[in-house]
Amino acid sequence: MSDDSALWLLLGPAGAAGFYWAMYRYYRNTDKSHAFERETRVEAQPITGSDRKVDTIIGTRETRIRGDNVDAYRQRVRRVRISGDGGSEDDG
Amino acid sequence: MPTSPPPSAPSGPGSPRDVPPAPGQLPLDPDALPGPIRDELLAPDPVAIDTAAEELKDGLNRCPKCGASDIRQKPGSDLLICLYCRHEWQGERVEEAFGLGEGIDRLRGTVIASGARDIDAGSAALVSFKCAGCGAEVTVNTEAGMTARCHWCRHVFGVNEQIVNGAVPDAVLPFHIKKEDAVARIRQFVDKRRLFALKEFKEQFTPENVTGVYLPYMIVDANARAEVAGYGEIETRRYTRGSGNDKKTYYDADVYAVERQVSFTVDDLPLESSRSRGNLDTRVNTNNIINAILPFDTKNAVKWNASYLSGFSSEKRDLDVAQLMPVLDDQLLSIARAQVEGSVRRYDRGVRWEEEAIDVRGSRWVAMYLPVWLYSYHQPGPNGGMLHYIAVNGRTGETMGSIPIQHWKLLLAALAAGTVLEALAIWIVGHT
Repeated sequence: MSDDSALWLLLGPAGAAGFYWAMYRYYRNTDKSHAFERETRVEAQPITGSDRKVDTIIGTRETRIRGDNVDAYRQRVRRVRISGDGGSEDDG
Repeated sequence: MPTSPPPSAPSGPGSPRDVPPAPGQLPLDPDALPGPIRDELLAPDPVAIDTAAEELKDGLNRCPKCGASDIRQKPGSDLLICLYCRHEWQGERVEEAFGLGEGIDRLRGTVIASGARDIDAGSAALVSFKCAGCGAEVTVNTEAGMTARCHWCRHVFGVNEQIVNGAVPDAVLPFHIKKEDAVARIRQFVDKRRLFALKEFKEQFTPENVTGVYLPYMIVDANARAEVAGYGEIETRRYTRGSGNDKKTYYDADVYAVERQVSFTVDDLPLESSRSRGNLDTRVNTNNIINAILPFDTKNAVKWNASYLSGFSSEKRDLDVAQLMPVLDDQLLSIARAQVEGSVRRYDRGVRWEEEAIDVRGSRWVAMYLPVWLYSYHQPGPNGGMLHYIAVNGRTGETMGSIPIQHWKLLLAALAAGTVLEALAIWIVGHT
């Protein structure tokens, strides 16, 4: 039996688990909370920043950057102190 | 199952640390499911009212002259106008009365409204009055309500002066959704989730037992600056090596060090100011349900008046501004991360933020009672079981709930689904 057909045979267990998981969430709504990121009135000034090329990766098999958290807004990362003067500079 | 609540906030899929999915999203395709399940999934949700609607702008205010409630804001001014007798007057909305919503970008330091002051630990929850009608002593238990009736002369009292036990907020948002409406919404919500619901829950389901509760919140305006730093990757080449079954895809990418800064103001962010309600661990409680029906149209809140609370129960605030500061920092950081997301779209292999910083330059805190219709069901089990809530937003009608599950039934259905898929898989493998 090839790798491919072994993969096909996982369809049953995966489907059962997926169904259970989806219906559990539909009934219990454990994934719901206040979406304050998009439901609160936020007025932001233009975003500033810098982008600096630091490295090149050749021949990786990963489809995304490791530890991608660009849309996991609520996942906290290391807290540091604000670097600027903390005052009211409005850099353009 | 954990035996006690964990010390740190829960994280990972299924916790409120997870960014909630957009409304109406379901990981399953309903069309691929059997009829009864599909019907449940596709039944309409209770409708939530758009609070931007002009007719809600009046709150529950009545014309002081004639008592009619057909009141509109006079265009271009702060005045309210009664459409019945044409009487005009200044609305009692705290937004205008206290100047909230203005000058958030100029906020500096922590501004605390009088009703949001620190709670005096020594102050009692029981407040007693001398009845003006008959002289009897009347006690109001502010843990659960803000009004009481003198049992001698039937005179009704309300706690109107601000006392330091945290029970009197700055403002209150009166109920707009009526009880019958809330009952109908809860019924509609549950009807969409009957197939796999716990049998006892279905048998004991009496939405008429829903209670109107005023829950304590802090409504926060803030002015902050955030900085984030991390790495982003842009794909430069994609190619496959090997052949047949050993074909593998490889990627080349450029790595960038990314930094972003953003200054922003946040208007009316609601934070739970009750310790127990603020605990959103979905493994031990269903408070995330009440959290999910936020936000409210807090702009329409009116100055505190205990008579709004007669007939409803209320919960007391037990958290101070200082204790809620870390929660505010956390939510502001989340908002900042959401704000900068648009500026890093060109990193098509994603961004890994590694550092973040927040500087809250100014914040303004207002204590407010918000109206919630709550239906609860206690599911017995280990560690005291689980209290399931179905909550209806008392202003917008947004409905959310947690329905206890009949696990064996769902498990059986999942196994059946798995068996069908497995049979299909075996057939495919046999024919290739």
